[in-house]
Order: sequence, then C-alpha cells, then structure tokens
Amino acid sequence: MHALKVDGIRKSFRGDMSLARREVLHGVSLHASEGEVLGFLGLNGAGKTTTIKVILGLIRADSGAVTIFDRPVGDRRAMARVGYLPEMPYFYPHLSLMEFLELCGAMSGMARERIRARIEKVVETVDLTAHIGRRLKSYSKGMLQRAGLAQAILHEPELLILDEPFSGLDPIGRKMVRDVLVDLKRRGTTIFFSSHVLPDMETLCDRVSIIRDGVIAKSVGLDDLLRLGEGTVEVTVRGWRPGMMGEIRAHVESAQEAGGEAFLVVREQRFVRPVIEHLYRSGAEVLAVANRRCSLEDIFMQEIARRESGAREKTKEEELVCTGF
Amino acid sequence: MKTVIAVARNTFRESVREKILVVAILFGAILMSSSVFLSPLAVGAKQKIVMDVGLAAISLIGVLTAVFLGSTLVHKEIDRKAIYLVITRPVSRAAYLFGKLAGITAAIALVFAVMTAVMIGIIALGEDALRPAVFASVYLSFLETTVISSIVMLFSTFTTPMLTSFFAICCFAAGSLSGDLKVFAAKFGGAGMELATSAFYYLLPNLEVFNLRHEAVHDLPFQTADLLRATGYAAVYCGVITFFACLIFRRREFR
Repeated sequence: MHALKVDGIRKSFRGDMSLARREVLHGVSLHASEGEVLGFLGLNGAGKTTTIKVILGLIRADSGAVTIFDRPVGDRRAMARVGYLPEMPYFYPHLSLMEFLELCGAMSGMARERIRARIEKVVETVDLTAHIGRRLKSYSKGMLQRAGLAQAILHEPELLILDEPFSGLDPIGRKMVRDVLVDLKRRGTTIFFSSHVLPDMETLCDRVSIIRDGVIAKSVGLDDLLRLGEGTVEVTVRGWRPGMMGEIRAHVESAQEAGGEAFLVVREQRFVRPVIEHLYRSGAEVLAVANRRCSLEDIFMQEIARRESGAREKTKEEELVCTGF
Repeated sequence: MKTVIAVARNTFRESVREKILVVAILFGAILMSSSVFLSPLAVGAKQKIVMDVGLAAISLIGVLTAVFLGSTLVHKEIDRKAIYLVITRPVSRAAYLFGKLAGITAAIALVFAVMTAVMIGIIALGEDALRPAVFASVYLSFLETTVISSIVMLFSTFTTPMLTSFFAICCFAAGSLSGDLKVFAAKFGGAGMELATSAFYYLLPNLEVFNLRHEAVHDLPFQTADLLRATGYAAVYCGVITFFACLIFRRREFR
C-alpha cells in the first residue's frame, strides 16, 4: 500500500488583479511507499509548497487525485495518521510550548494521559525541555522550528510531511532534526519532505522527486544515484595545463580547474593508468585518485541546466518565428 | 466533540490573553460607574439610572467585544497560517468553526460575568434591592451578543476584519430596528418597499426579542415564556447562520 499517492494533479490560481488563471501544477504525480523517505526537490516557485498544500487538503486540485493510505484527502482517519510541519511555521504566540502541544494532541484525538507522556518525550527529543513553560512568542526562529517538529511527531504519525524542515536552523539544530528523521525512518515512518539542503536530502532519502515548472522532471532512487556515477574515476592534479589534454582527451569525460588544481573525470577504470602516466610524463603531480559517485547536486544541476537550455531553445524558436525564418 | 472543545479552549485562552478584553471590561466598568455621578440629576430615580446605564453598557460592550474578537481571531489565524496546524489534523472545518464560536462565546460570558458583578456592586452600594428582571435582561443581552457573534463568524469566513466589523455592526443596528422598519414600511411605503422590509425582517435577527431593559429598569413583570422563546430563537438563528458559515468555510482554500 502507498502511504501517499499523488496522481496527475493540476492546480491553477487566479491573479490578484486579473480573472485569468495561471496553472502552477501541470499534472504532478508521485508516490511514497510505506516506510519510504521521499525527498521533494525543486527551485523556488517550482510548485513544491503548492503540491504539499494539495496533499494536505489546504487547497483543492483542479484535477487529479491524492490518496493517503488509500483514503482521499481530508478523510479524518487518514489525517489522524499524518504529521505536518509547514514552511516558516506560525504558532499561537499566547501559548507556552506545553499548552501548544496539549492543544495539538487534543486536536489529533489523543487521550490526555498519552498526550502528557508524549509531550515529555518529544520535548526532550527536540531539546526544548528547559523552555517548555515559556510562551512561544519569546522563542527564536530555530526554537520555533524545533517546536514545529515536536507538534508534527507528537501523535506518532505514520506519514510525516515536512516543508523545508531545516530552514532557520543552526548546524546543531540541523543535526538534531536530521537525527530525529533518521530515527523515525528506522522505525518505519514514511517521510515526505522538501528541502534545499541537498547533502541532508541525500543522507536521508530513499528516493528523490525533482519538480520543475510544475511537473515532476525526475524521480531518482538513492541506489540509482550511486549507479549513475559508477565506473568513473576522479583524478585530482596539481600543475595542470590545458595543453596536457592531448592524447588522453578520449579517456577524460571532463576537466575542471579550481585553485591551482584540476579535477579530471576519467571515463572508465581501465583508462586511469594511461591517464596518470601521461600526467606524470607531462610534469603534473597526481594528488588523489577516487571512485566518483554522482551526487544529488549533480542530478539537480543537470535538471536545471536542461531547463535553462530548454528555455533558450524556446526563445530561439520564438525569435526565428518573429523574424520570419 | 473533543476537537471542538480543544479549539474552543484555545480560542477562549487567546481571547482572555488579548489586552482588548481587559480594556473592554475597564471601559464598561467606567461607563457603569459614571451612572453614580449622573444619578443625582434625576431625583428619586437613582436606581433606574444606575440600572439603565449598567444594562446598556453591558449590552454595548458585549456586542463590541463579539465584533472585535470574532472579526480578528479567525482572520488572524488564516492570515498567519496558524490554521494549517488545525486543518491538517483530523478536525473538520465545521468543528473548527463551532469551536471558535464556542470559545468567543465563553470569553463574552466572562465579560458579562465581570460587568454584571460590577453593576451588582454599584447597586448594592446604593443599598437598592436587586430585581430578577435585571438578571433576565443580562441573560437576554448575552443571547443577543451570541447571535451577533455567529453573524461575525459568518462574515469572517470570507471577508476582511474591517468589512466583517462593518457588516456585523450594520446587522446589529438593522436588527435592533427591524420591527420599527416593518411597521414604518407597512404604514408609509408601497408594496415593493413592504416586500423589501419584510425580507429584511425575516433575514436579519430580530434583536428586539432580546430587549428586557425597559422591564428591568421600571420593575415591570416579565414572562418566563418570553425568555424561553428568546432562547429558542437565538439557538435556531445561530444554528442557521453557523450552518451557512460552515458551507462557505468548507469551500475556502488556504494559500
């Protein structure tokens, strides 16, 4: 069973001053199996938050369907199994953390005794025990983010939806959130989260869906990610000159220079030896040789580059049409 | 039910912690205390002045509190996106609205309790006897304020606090005069005017049914049946208005 299934959702909004509608989601489809951690990646304005809002029933899709544990959005039995942390959360400033979590527990339908026990636990988890009696209006941004995480996991949801959970956190806070998510993943909680922090996403996710201009451009599993870079080797060189490329050009996929060093990506293992020998002969110094792994950042940047080249092509086509060619 | 109580409790707590509630109570207390200084102007009618001003102050402060709290609390929650934490839980939108209304009504009940205590204190200081009609009048004013709260809630589901306040105050003014308007139209207006005023008469709340101030001030008898009728009217009116508010709120999107 899918914990979350989003099937071809489309959503358009009317501008504030016009009647024309602008479509921001053009048929987004994704799914998260039970116990899976699914990352949701995209540039600002790509449609991440809109998708999350549709999933949670805060806004309605024009078409398409969303199911949570095979139940439609808004079904109370389904929502009882969901925990949500919004981007830039705003909590009731007049409440203390204790009162706020009591309220969240009651709204989630928890029994009073269970609320008490869970509050103690989650407050300790997010390291806010010392501040539990303080009103939320006196909390810093990072503390509010941690309070937000506490309310999201209070009722032990089976599906956790987090919109930018690392936003506003210092390195210690980030590590804390990461540890909490790792622990929840170990316990089998399905996690769906959007973030711009790619290394964290790479560490936590089983799979990542990249959204671009309101459509899912790529869905890639962590295993696929490792496989994508398989076989290539990165050689770090000092004393590199572009003229050295000559006879090894066919073996080298790319060469980048930075700070007096060059990073050569060798296409296959068998070419490493001739490449290194050539470099030594040419007077360069080989500093490191390592198997190369494709990072999420590489994939994301490729998608962005594809988008930009697509936009350039489109502009060229439009220019040609305009000039009559 | 549990979720309604949770929302109501939070709304009550938020209302009570708003400074405006303290200001409203202080203003009402000052208004009532002023009656002590006005009463020498009406020789032999000191108690009537105290009661008249006191009951009017309770009604006015109650309505203003309902308008202010109702128009800002829901809107603020939507505007600042605190509602995300409610709607994404197993809380129906109707439960949320009922909870909000119950919380605001509880806060208004607190205002009424404090102000009634102040009025009783002032009456007791003048060594005057308390009449049952005074309590009946306060009770009806409370029902009137609850009706206004439900109207405020209806408007706050789709418009701004400013417009909500404006519409609610218009409804309060028109509802207080709806009976007079109907009589006026029947006497001086044409058929069209009579139809329009009849429509308004049945659409707007008839707030006159909640007015027992005259009987309380002049120590006139009142019927318990009138209290029951007013209670039933308030319950039905609030129910219908909240039903429409729920219909609108169900369609609302939170961007």
